[in-house]
Amino acid sequence: MTSSISLQDVSKHYTRGAARVAVLEHFNLEISAGEFVAIMGPSGSGKTTLLNLIGGLDRPDAGEVLVAGERLGRLSSSALSRWRARHVGFIFQFYNLMPTMSAERNTELPLLLTSLSKSERGRKVAAALELVGLSDRGKHKPGELSGGQQQRVAIARALIADPTILVCDEPTGDLDRHTAEEILALLQTLNQHYAKTIILVTHDPKAAGYAARQLHIDKGQLIDDSAKVAV
Amino acid sequence: MKYLPLLWSGIWRKPGRTILIFLQIAVAFSLFGVLQGLATGVQHAVRLARADLLLVHSRLNLWEPLPLGMLAEIQSLPGVHVVVPVSMFFANYRMPTQHVGVVAIQSDKGWESAFTYHIAAKYLAALRKSRIGALARVELAKKYGWKIGERITLISDTKRTNGSTSWAFDLVGTYTDSDVGSGSDVILINYAYFNEARASDKGTVNHFNVSVSDPKQAAAVAEEIDHRFANSPNETETDSLRALAQMELQSIGNLNFVIRAIISAVLVALLFATATTMIQSFRERRPELAVLKTLGFTDLAVFLLILFEALVVCVTAAACGLALATLVFPMASRFVPGLSMPPIIVEVGLASAVAVALISAAVPAVAAARLEVAAALADR
Repeated sequence: MTSSISLQDVSKHYTRGAARVAVLEHFNLEISAGEFVAIMGPSGSGKTTLLNLIGGLDRPDAGEVLVAGERLGRLSSSALSRWRARHVGFIFQFYNLMPTMSAERNTELPLLLTSLSKSERGRKVAAALELVGLSDRGKHKPGELSGGQQQRVAIARALIADPTILVCDEPTGDLDRHTAEEILALLQTLNQHYAKTIILVTHDPKAAGYAARQLHIDKGQLIDDSAKVAV
Repeated sequence: MKYLPLLWSGIWRKPGRTILIFLQIAVAFSLFGVLQGLATGVQHAVRLARADLLLVHSRLNLWEPLPLGMLAEIQSLPGVHVVVPVSMFFANYRMPTQHVGVVAIQSDKGWESAFTYHIAAKYLAALRKSRIGALARVELAKKYGWKIGERITLISDTKRTNGSTSWAFDLVGTYTDSDVGSGSDVILINYAYFNEARASDKGTVNHFNVSVSDPKQAAAVAEEIDHRFANSPNETETDSLRALAQMELQSIGNLNFVIRAIISAVLVALLFATATTMIQSFRERRPELAVLKTLGFTDLAVFLLILFEALVVCVTAAACGLALATLVFPMASRFVPGLSMPPIIVEVGLASAVAVALISAAVPAVAAARLEVAAALADR
């Protein structure tokens, strides 16, 4: 497999008051295209920072982040935005849907940045909602959907622009066990049948078990990198 | 157009707050329209006042009597067309609060050119025929339900020769007045009767109304009249109706300045209110805006989104407020003739609304453009 994501000697610090806190120190990582990788670690270990760097939401203080052949650190803010729109789909723990927009409108959002016609956008929205099993909930607003359904809308939104990479930050952290398993199974299907590269940050070992590869990080260092058989 | 649902969603995120800010802007701009219309209406009224109709009054004040004998001397001056003596007094109808102005005129041939009254020929003939006849301004007759042929009795401090303060007139008709500065509660009577019936100041007038042969020479004629009576016991001051209207306007202060000051205060207060609301709204929406940027919306796109939301709310609300002011004006113009709201006020109002929107949304729009996505998402 070709390397889809490459972090080379990446360091990232945050400033908290007068203190400068190192989150990632000389971090190196290679993830191939089509991999399903779970990143685990205690709170404050740098999981979300790592995810933000891979998704182009943050920039490293040192080192290089190469994703889908692009050196993200060298892109301007607007170029990075356009790159995210083409290559990365994001799924968050709290869904982050627009509360006053219907499931259809939420799903359509990334397509507003494309030159697709209204009818083309409508077709893609319908297909994405069908893929996540929410064809009959398109007109509903987030407040009228369950947590699991909202997360499915978020997945449809993440998939709609056909990105190569799905970045998931605790996507099941706010869901009950049964719903969480449904969502994880859906992510697994997207990985196996649609060849999406999936990076999943989770505290939950069971959730991590759905990934083919598990990374354990602590204090900004990669302490374990193991491939597992998906359950 | 494809961004409209996103724009709409942002506007209606908190419907209660949006409705309140909408009403706030609409009320402010209806006030803007009404006040600007008032200023324009007053200026229009002053412009409408006749510059070629002169009032010759005592230099001391408007009420100091002048001898009737001055009439012939004024009439003899070059450029003078018609001179009409006018005396006035105040009276009350049935209640002390029912004030009526009584204007005594001499309706000789050609007198109409020295007044702004419009009297039907039959009513004018009736007034000339009846010594104690009176013509009521249409608004006044309507106000007290006076009918032609009715005898009207007024009470005044101006005494009659028999010591009575009661003045009775036969209503023989009505009239209208195109001078917006004159009061509406006025009746016209015959000067000859009034001069004969009053106990004091006989043979005097309050002022002379003078119409000039050439309107362009009005100022020169006024100067000539005042020059003729300079250093006499009855020095005069001659003003055109327009000059008097301007003086009346100045007596209540610089109306334009007052109105502009009020409008400025309203707009500044509105600016603070909308800016505060928009900054508060931005703070609440930080994670949502961060999500948009996560999805690929650029800094500029998010900046424009915030600006357009503010523009839609401000301009729509201002348009509603100005429309309300426009609707109110035709009703108001029934009571204040000449009052109007020209289209330029609507244009200036909408331009002000755009300015309010851009200024109040500038800070949140810039903050949204600079929003650090990772930090904003972590806030949630």
